[in-house]
Amino acid sequence: MSALREIWAYRELLWSLAWRDVRIRYKQSLLGVAWAILLPLSMMLVFTFVFTRAIDARSALNVNMPYPLYAYLGLVPWTFFAVCLSNCVNCLVANRNLVTKVYFPREVLPLAGVIAGFVDFLVALGVLVVLTVYFHLTGGWSFTWSLSIVFLPVVILVQVTMTIGIGMMLAMANLFYRDVRQVFSVAIQLWMFISAVVVPVPRDGSVVAQMIATNPMVPIIGAYRDVIAHGRWPESGPFLSAAAFAVLVLIGGWTLFRRASFRFAECI
Amino acid sequence: MMTGSAISVSNVSKRFRLGETHDSLRDLLASWGARLFRRPDAVAQTTVDTSRSLQALHDVTFDVPRGDALGIIGPNGAGKSTMLKMLSGILRPDEGRIMVHGRLAALIEVGAGFHGDLTGRENIFLNGAILGMSRAEIRRKLDEIAAFAGLERFLDTPVKRYSSGMYARLGFSIAAHVDPDILLVDEVLSVGDAVFRLRCLERMRELLRGGTTLVFVTHDLDQMQSVCERALLLEGGRTAFLGPSRDAVSWYLQAMTRAFVDRPPDLLDGKHRYSGTVDILHVRFQEPSGREVRCARANQPLQVEVRYCLHRDIPRLVIELNMRAVVHQNLLSVNSGRDGLTIRGVKGDRRVALSLPSLAVAGGPYVWNVRMWDADSGRAEIDTPFQYPLVVDDEGCKTGVLCLPHQWLFDERPTMVDERSILQGAADPAAGRNGDRGTIAVAAGDEGHGDWDPVGPDYALSATRPRRPEHCSD
Repeated sequence: MSALREIWAYRELLWSLAWRDVRIRYKQSLLGVAWAILLPLSMMLVFTFVFTRAIDARSALNVNMPYPLYAYLGLVPWTFFAVCLSNCVNCLVANRNLVTKVYFPREVLPLAGVIAGFVDFLVALGVLVVLTVYFHLTGGWSFTWSLSIVFLPVVILVQVTMTIGIGMMLAMANLFYRDVRQVFSVAIQLWMFISAVVVPVPRDGSVVAQMIATNPMVPIIGAYRDVIAHGRWPESGPFLSAAAFAVLVLIGGWTLFRRASFRFAECI
Repeated sequence: MMTGSAISVSNVSKRFRLGETHDSLRDLLASWGARLFRRPDAVAQTTVDTSRSLQALHDVTFDVPRGDALGIIGPNGAGKSTMLKMLSGILRPDEGRIMVHGRLAALIEVGAGFHGDLTGRENIFLNGAILGMSRAEIRRKLDEIAAFAGLERFLDTPVKRYSSGMYARLGFSIAAHVDPDILLVDEVLSVGDAVFRLRCLERMRELLRGGTTLVFVTHDLDQMQSVCERALLLEGGRTAFLGPSRDAVSWYLQAMTRAFVDRPPDLLDGKHRYSGTVDILHVRFQEPSGREVRCARANQPLQVEVRYCLHRDIPRLVIELNMRAVVHQNLLSVNSGRDGLTIRGVKGDRRVALSLPSLAVAGGPYVWNVRMWDADSGRAEIDTPFQYPLVVDDEGCKTGVLCLPHQWLFDERPTMVDERSILQGAADPAAGRNGDRGTIAVAAGDEGHGDWDPVGPDYALSATRPRRPEHCSD
């Protein structure tokens, strides 16, 4: 609780740092914040081209909606997740100057990284509306409007909770051992392909499939597609366990981070 | 406002590990295990390896009353910055307790957290937030901050295009407008030009008048004294002195002088040239009687004798002697050529001496060097490092650079008091007595000091009273 109170006292710093992260990402760039849209869009085009033109994997991609939409619906939350984590991995080391010269609750740095990622996420989510309307009008697929859309904030909250928890652990670990960043950049690639972001995960009951089923990102990404495009509530079992996992990760990550934080300045 | 301590530090120690943080994966796992199952302070205890650690601070205790200014001085590596970082919360002490009451802002590095790609204005908001200001507060003070730094025209330029002086001025200016209850300042006034530095000092005094508590780490003893009434002198992580800043400074200078006499520092200044024609055999400092001294008295005559060996004839040899204060800059440079004199340098063992009627410098450690030129070729024959040490004991000029003979002129008979009672501001009942303590020569206006005569009974006091030397034992 005292941790939360302290963060609240430093909320101005949190906004300033998040705002700085957003600002410097698009400084000296012609397209500026448009990149928040262009990145997932171009990724969508790349994966659409690869899976439906370069190699014909359409039979494996039995996804109940136009593939570009499927890919975009996976890529937007995934990019949010991955960008936040990569912000977090570097946040302490990149701000060494602040960590060693100024006092503030260290949690502010990973939190600012997540907020900065969230801004991009909201922009990209806006484009989703345009994309949905487009495929609704042209694609032989019809969007089902449903009340389930009100569940979207909950899905986002669960994802953010998990992101903060993992992000804090990564930030702390990378401060002590820089290897973490290298491992992270490989691991996040693998994680993407087992999270039903651009290809559905196997459900054939094999060992691999069972392992993949424990991945909390599968129900979270699935929940985005359920509440936005399919107009249905997410499957409760997997989603609830992902939510519980997220809360545990947040509590564990935050506790470890806070305990180690008084050694950051001398170990960085 | 509450009275009492703004900062209280009791028995604080801090140890740093040397080398890499963890030696092996086994260490890492052990300490992670410890961190999971024990309290954090217990971990600090278990992971310390005394043979490979540095005791940065050892059992330091002090107290800063609300609204006071405390200076922290000491040589490099004394633990000053570590202390400041612990006060601000960046580091945590291994032992002891630190209590801080009030909103604290620490200026440990100017412009920490500046981002080169952001403009001056954006960085003011960011850095202000880092120092604990709210956006509304920053918006209100924006013009003032820009004006103080003298950067109004550059607010919309990214700071990566700033000069280092502009960068530093902006950084200090933001910090100077924080208005905290407690301000910690670490050796940051060395930036900027003289005028800016004065403005910074003035700003610190202004904050002090407004009730801010100040802790000021600096190497500039004069600057420290001009702001702080009390000072903490750290040496090797221990408290060497805690008390009135004037006394702390004189303690520090004495300690420095002692260390200097024991082992003169090897101050190579990189310009050491040597042609092989001249060897300096010795440089001796002598009283007029010829007795050698290692410690000279200020305002007394001094003779500097240089014995050198010339390996070939140099018909017109020029000698220059330089004296440099260890804590200041080059103070004296006498050159026989500039005085229109050359030495008829004949091969062999020669001597030359410089006689000064009065060594009018403040007390402290000094170093000398010797240069010799061939006036015809312009070639430098020798240019030694500043390797000849001389300690000067002054007569009360505790600070400043010079110690000149001087006289006071008063239009009424002055009251004579004990020096220490003035310096410490103590209410000494013996002080203030219209004293005939017998040590100060009082001359009733007898020398004709211009228009002082007609005003009335004039008194002139010469600061000529003999004092017990502090550093000189010879």
